[in-house]
Amino acid sequence: MGQVRAEPTRRAMLVAAGAGSLALAGCKGITALGARPKMHADVIALDHAITAEELMIARYRLALAALPAAQHHAGGTGKPKAGGPDRAVVAALLAEHKEHLVQLRARLILPPRLATASPQPSPTPAAAPAARHQILAELAAAEAAASDRLVGWLPEVPPALAQLMASIAAAEAAHVVHLGYGRLAP
Amino acid sequence: MTERGLAGPRGRTKQEVAALQAALAAEQAAIYGYGIVGAHLTGTRFAAAFADSIAHQRTRDSLTAMITARGGQPRPAAPAYRMPIAVHSAAQARSLAIVLERQVTAAYLGLVALAEPALRRFGADQMRAAAVRSARWGARPQAFPGLPASSLRR
Repeated sequence: MGQVRAEPTRRAMLVAAGAGSLALAGCKGITALGARPKMHADVIALDHAITAEELMIARYRLALAALPAAQHHAGGTGKPKAGGPDRAVVAALLAEHKEHLVQLRARLILPPRLATASPQPSPTPAAAPAARHQILAELAAAEAAASDRLVGWLPEVPPALAQLMASIAAAEAAHVVHLGYGRLAP
Repeated sequence: MTERGLAGPRGRTKQEVAALQAALAAEQAAIYGYGIVGAHLTGTRFAAAFADSIAHQRTRDSLTAMITARGGQPRPAAPAYRMPIAVHSAAQARSLAIVLERQVTAAYLGLVALAEPALRRFGADQMRAAAVRSARWGARPQAFPGLPASSLRR
């Protein structure tokens, strides 16, 4: 239930199809290009969701690396802080994104040959901004956008995967609050 | 896409009405519960409880209309609901609000699993809204709001 069979594959196939076509084009010209294998919409949606989580994890890692320094600059005391609440929250949310990625990847069935192939390089976000409030604001904006995108892909996927993606979208929407946006006054 | 299209139009409508009724029941319980939450709060927190109660009432009305449009009979709210937490303080009221929102989040999973894209979207939007309200009430982050642990792959 809820698994998406990549026939013949996911991203690897997209890449292979592109590379193969280019190789053929080099030998025999553009007319030799074959039709690209058709990807199912659910495979594409799941692939996008996995890529989005990988990107989010990369963002959070950059933010974590930047936060202590940012707090040092913001404090202006000259003493570097070891972490603080922002860092703890960001670390907790990063852990959740890693869980999201594990669950999304588990829904994708790859043919054996491709499952053992080298993984594609993960996407890399732009460098994290320097100021603490800017770091958190950019994470919050990325969370809101990721949540919206996930909901947009829901019509393409089987029911059980739709439930997982809707739950992740809900988690990401809540992350915006955990990052300090829209929280109730104490 | 093997999980879709198994039911005919009539069966599909029946599934839709059943999922809408489940969400409606959760909204009705939340509206009742927010009455208790609000009674133990003051100031901005009372205003927040009031606003959240209004949000649930609006969603209840939308669900009622969707059930009626599909030929269903919206089930009325119960006269009273047993709350999962006894509330005697503001802190307990906030905890109850979190529990209510978590129950609402889970109640929309059925809608998200339907084939109809508009209902999926509606269900997902309500899950997001409930998760946000829960976070605003001070809930700790949850990786998979609404999903039972048994549905996750280990």
